[in-house]
Amino acid sequence: MDIFGSFALLLAWLLAIYAFIAGIAGIITKRALLIKSARNAGMAVCVLVALAVATLEYFLQTDNFSLAYVAEHSNTALPWYYKFAALWSGQEGSLLWWTFLLSIYVFFALFLNRKRHPELMPYVGVILAGVQIFFLTLNNFVESVNPFRILGAADGTGMMHMARIAEGSGLNPLLQYPEMVIHPPMLYSGYTGFTIPFAFALAALLGRYPGEKWIHITRRWTMVAWTFQTIGILLGAHWAYAVLGWGGYWSWDPVENASLLPWITATAFLHSVMMQEKRGMMKVWNVWLVFSTFMLCILGTMLTRTGLVSSVHAFAESNIGGWFYSFLGIILAVCIVAWYKNRDYLRSDNQLDSLVSRESSFLFNNLILLAACFAVLWGTLFPIFSEWITGNKISVGAPFFNKVNVPIALFLIFLTGVGPLLAWRKTSLDGLRRNFAWPAAVGVASGIAAYIFGFRNFYALICLILSVFVTLTIFSEFYRGARVIAARDHTDLFTAARELTMRNTRRYGGYIVHFGMIVIFIGIMGSAFNKDVEREMHVGDTMTIGPYSLLVQNYDEDTNANYDAQRATMEVFRDGKSVMMLYPERRTYSASQVTETIVAVESSPLRDLYVVYSGISPDTNQPVIHAYLNPLVKWIWFGGVIVVLGTGLAMLPNRRSGIVLRPVETRIGEPITHGGVVAPAVGPITHRASLNE
Amino acid sequence: MNEFRQFAGLRFRRQLTSPRVLTYAAAALFVAAVICVSAQAQQGAITAPSAAGLTPSQTARAEELGKRLKCMCGGCDDAAGMCTHSGGNFAGPCDTAKAELKEIGDRVTKGESDDQILQAFVQEYGPTVLIEPPKKGFDLLAWVMPIALPIFAVLLVWGVVTRWRERAAVAPAGGLPVDPALLVRAHRESGDGDE
Repeated sequence: MDIFGSFALLLAWLLAIYAFIAGIAGIITKRALLIKSARNAGMAVCVLVALAVATLEYFLQTDNFSLAYVAEHSNTALPWYYKFAALWSGQEGSLLWWTFLLSIYVFFALFLNRKRHPELMPYVGVILAGVQIFFLTLNNFVESVNPFRILGAADGTGMMHMARIAEGSGLNPLLQYPEMVIHPPMLYSGYTGFTIPFAFALAALLGRYPGEKWIHITRRWTMVAWTFQTIGILLGAHWAYAVLGWGGYWSWDPVENASLLPWITATAFLHSVMMQEKRGMMKVWNVWLVFSTFMLCILGTMLTRTGLVSSVHAFAESNIGGWFYSFLGIILAVCIVAWYKNRDYLRSDNQLDSLVSRESSFLFNNLILLAACFAVLWGTLFPIFSEWITGNKISVGAPFFNKVNVPIALFLIFLTGVGPLLAWRKTSLDGLRRNFAWPAAVGVASGIAAYIFGFRNFYALICLILSVFVTLTIFSEFYRGARVIAARDHTDLFTAARELTMRNTRRYGGYIVHFGMIVIFIGIMGSAFNKDVEREMHVGDTMTIGPYSLLVQNYDEDTNANYDAQRATMEVFRDGKSVMMLYPERRTYSASQVTETIVAVESSPLRDLYVVYSGISPDTNQPVIHAYLNPLVKWIWFGGVIVVLGTGLAMLPNRRSGIVLRPVETRIGEPITHGGVVAPAVGPITHRASLNE
Repeated sequence: MNEFRQFAGLRFRRQLTSPRVLTYAAAALFVAAVICVSAQAQQGAITAPSAAGLTPSQTARAEELGKRLKCMCGGCDDAAGMCTHSGGNFAGPCDTAKAELKEIGDRVTKGESDDQILQAFVQEYGPTVLIEPPKKGFDLLAWVMPIALPIFAVLLVWGVVTRWRERAAVAPAGGLPVDPALLVRAHRESGDGDE
């Protein structure tokens, strides 16, 4: 059965190579059949990789421990959904999963465009096949990441025999959490999804595909990947918060940073894309943003999988670093050559007219996003540079990233408010004043009021002022547009706002995304006011944190096949009244003998009460409780939902009002003509514009 | 100019003279923000159990230093003062972190300055014990680059923009000759502004 999986994977590799070579031959000879055959091979890769994935999953579900991967990452007592998730819990399986998600994207990119863009698609197919060859080579031929490696034991004569052990070593307990079932597929869908825009951008450049068409095609693919990446990052943060038990959600770990980098450049691209669409500017920039996003994805994978930088949640170190270096080198070389040879194709159509304009705000937006990206990348890789040059190992910890990135983030919030309201080409000072005067005034006033009420953290204060300012500018945009429609159509403001949004989904969806980001930033701002208390507590003891008093009622134990749990039962009081019970736990997993914290969180929009049962102190043999009060954390998750909804909206096609012809009285037998054309007597019509892909 | 403003989506000006709903929304948001924020600010500060023999100001210093020095156990990337050793048998500071915190406390009691204490740890463990890169020598680059590069980029953009504008002044923007009035009408009838 394992042969089946290996064989499917090998066949997928061969097909990818065929798609690559036949594609190039097709482009050179311009033979339609060859191009079609290459495309079909590219799509068939998906089916074969799916078979390989299904095989590995079958092994996991049936507890077949003859396979090394299953023995190392699963055990019989594991519930089926965690066995399912075990597929992407180790280096080998997750790399196969990566290849699988990539092949799904490739399938859809080729299938949906099979009758479109005949000059562009052969190039796209070749580039995608090239990327697939790299990952399939790793899956097939690098022993340490081959998911179908069989557990073997040598006998006296040196002959290898298949070994089958009775029980696996189980799934890492940190990963036995619902988010961990969803988080990796989401994040990987983001990472792999950025391959499609990359392929289109490179293809347009190589094939000198005319116009801005590749931008239109790519934008939606980028948004899909971006949405997955956003969900993936937020789920990861939520997992860290709910599982790791340290009271935080983001620790600037290299692996976290790796997921943030392509997200930032993709965000920059989604903004600067408008410059090219509307004004034919920043073409070189856009191409390089897409290239960088893809390369950062590969770099991120490399950081996570090769142990290049020390990270608490990287995969086990492996020898695949060289492969990734080479692949990155090849991509960079191809991008540089493609750009250099075809750079005249990317000449700008327009110039910037004013520094106070939408164009320049996009420039600044991109600049600031890239500054953030650079700061994160620099901090992540700096220990390596420093060790190379000075020979000293140094640490770049969370305080560095916070110090460098918080001012950048605040400036970005400011631009979020200002940018969208500046006019294209040139904005008058008068217009600026009218647009911004009162939102800015209200923002500053709320800042002053907050200061009077005892709000003393500088950055949090700036964040508050900017958040109020941006929120008001966003709502005023909706309000102004809706008022015009409401007055014209005689509807209420709410209906009008909906109509407004549906007519220009990109613009108003974008505003909703901005609003979601502001909500996230408010949530992050709350971390400036985090508090925590750690104390030994016996049954009957009470601790106070913020407005809450926590009383330990009981400590008890619970056992099942998968783990043994020690549990604290705590009653929470507020103003002398009992408000809830919390049950923080520690679980020792039977298969791996690893102990894990299960945090009890009581979440409200204002604050989270986050209680950790730290276990028995080795010094005093007494149970220890660590309680955290984390303000506004819920806003982060809520903001994430708004961002995703907004992005979904922005992907919808615009609803356009059609030409409205007045109803006309007609007399039978007498056609009415307008300039020789018979006008149908119809009322208002609305129709949806077709997908602009 | 008028047409240009309209093109730029600034055509709702007249209706904006009495933004009553907006004012209400602003007031509501403002009140909500202030309530949220002041609720956070009013919570009492935590009273961490101070180490034996340390005055409150010394405790605060020791805590601050504990956040600037890394836990050197090798199993986490946390500061000694923040170590909760995720996944360990006891989710509190590990033995290494506790030893480091104790040494910090002892040195603070002896009256050593922050710099002296940090240096003593660097002597013992090497520069990797500092949670942030030191601000001298080659490692100063870690701090300088994230500031220098954006500034350089802004100057670059400034330069590019100036060049574009000069070029624009020499050769006025081309494009199809569209009657501005027609353009305004087209935008008005499409019902929405620019993106």
